[in-house]
Amino acid sequence: MEPHSTSEFVPVCQVSDLPDPGKTVVEVGDRLVALFHVSGTFWALDDLCTHDGGPLAEGELRGYTIICPRHGAQFDVRDGRALTMPATQATVAHEVKVEGDDVLIRLKDG
Amino acid sequence: MTTTVAETGFHPQAFEQFLSARREPSWLTDLRRRAWRAFRELDLPDSRSEEWRRTDIRLLRLDRFGLAAVPAPTVVEPEALLAANVELAGRTASLDTHVQTAELGARWSAQGVMFGSLDDLLAEHGDLFRPYLTRRIVDPRVDKFAALSGACWSGGTLLYVPRGVAIDRPLHTFSGLSPGGVDLGRTLVVLDEGAEATLLAETGSLEASGAGLHCGTTEIIVGPGARLRYVGLQNWGTGVWHFAHQKAVVERGGRLQWTIGALGSRLAKVNQHVVLAGRDADVQVNGVMFTEGKQHLSYHTLQHHREPYCHSDFLYKGALQDRSHLVWRGMIKVDPGCDKTDAYQRDDNLLLSESARADSIPGLEIEADDVRCSHGATAGRVDDEQIFYAQNRGLTRKEAVRMIVAGFFQQVFDRITIDSVRDALGDAIRRRVREYQ
Repeated sequence: MEPHSTSEFVPVCQVSDLPDPGKTVVEVGDRLVALFHVSGTFWALDDLCTHDGGPLAEGELRGYTIICPRHGAQFDVRDGRALTMPATQATVAHEVKVEGDDVLIRLKDG
Repeated sequence: MTTTVAETGFHPQAFEQFLSARREPSWLTDLRRRAWRAFRELDLPDSRSEEWRRTDIRLLRLDRFGLAAVPAPTVVEPEALLAANVELAGRTASLDTHVQTAELGARWSAQGVMFGSLDDLLAEHGDLFRPYLTRRIVDPRVDKFAALSGACWSGGTLLYVPRGVAIDRPLHTFSGLSPGGVDLGRTLVVLDEGAEATLLAETGSLEASGAGLHCGTTEIIVGPGARLRYVGLQNWGTGVWHFAHQKAVVERGGRLQWTIGALGSRLAKVNQHVVLAGRDADVQVNGVMFTEGKQHLSYHTLQHHREPYCHSDFLYKGALQDRSHLVWRGMIKVDPGCDKTDAYQRDDNLLLSESARADSIPGLEIEADDVRCSHGATAGRVDDEQIFYAQNRGLTRKEAVRMIVAGFFQQVFDRITIDSVRDALGDAIRRRVREYQ
């Protein structure tokens, strides 16, 4: 079953806070979220590699791909899909929108 | 002993206020100051170390908690699971680390047994217990949480059973947390030569989803030929951060049966360490864990054989549902010359949902030749064929899953010799199992 949203959009930073390309970790509710800025668009994933729980945002960002710093698993920042072994499951992707200079995230359950 | 400092966080001024309000003997204050220095010097553990790489505490804000404030005005005792229908030799209860009740049957106190608040009993009998505290069974320099506990513990529980005294009824201790509360309790159990006792230690929150912090230590000394049954049930609310260092030293011919129930907390990181420190020491550990929601429980066990002819047997079983995560790392360590060691460790996990995760990492470090040391670990899902079989015989899917979960835990329940403990854990798990398609 696809995760669904139950929460509201929450402002997490300003557009100018994050270079393009760039990545950071933000705290939303009780979760750590990896926020990416690529080609003028923001994307957000759980800061969690589904292989062994590694912190994704500490990895290298190549285009739309984030590489887990522990074992090299790769995820698509746009939807959380796992692109390579050792990860086989997607990490949760959250909704992002920009209002003025504010970047807002709405968490998805899951 | 009074503690009337305001809620001020873990910073030097608050610590000095805390010390000055306690009026303790200088040796104890020195121990606290040394631990405080370690607390200030050590960083919070990060995910680069092997022990913490699976346990993410980046969301822990230690500065949102503080030293024990003025005693809680209300005495509200959450339902104690382990003491239901049990005739007790004594009981204690605390809320937010402040001990509110301490009772011990006159029959036992007349024989020299001491049971109650560690704070209060140290004030009366400091010289007797000084050697046990200065031994620093749990080293406060191990990590920042051990240091915080060593510096700032208060309240707590002490059980002392003198030589040859056998207490034939269980003792019960309950630690409660109010929403957002802090528990810095410390437990010291000392059984002298040939003594016997059963201690049921239980935690719980006033609100099932209540937040809070527990940072504590448990130190157990089982003297020569002594027998201790110790049960620790961690049943905090699902918003509580739980950090615990637990260590038992079992001397020549001593026997320890240690049962752990882990049901609660948002995140738990527990180090359980047993030292077999005299010939013929015998330790059995039974672990029962059930996680749900987004709970993360991380248990790190060490069974350390320091003398020959000892026996240790650790069995952990965990069932996980929703997106919860269990981590278990176990190590059997046998020192050089410890021949005829017989050591076993096993960790089994039953995954009730596709999103749950279990990491099970057994290990051996053997430096003697003539030993029997083995380990095992399993993780698996509920077998659909078993559910199909049960449904064909009239059970609903939920009933079938409950039956399978009960069967999974039966092996460890069979080893638990205290009826109330077995019943409480079984009931708590049965209530938690949900229906899965």
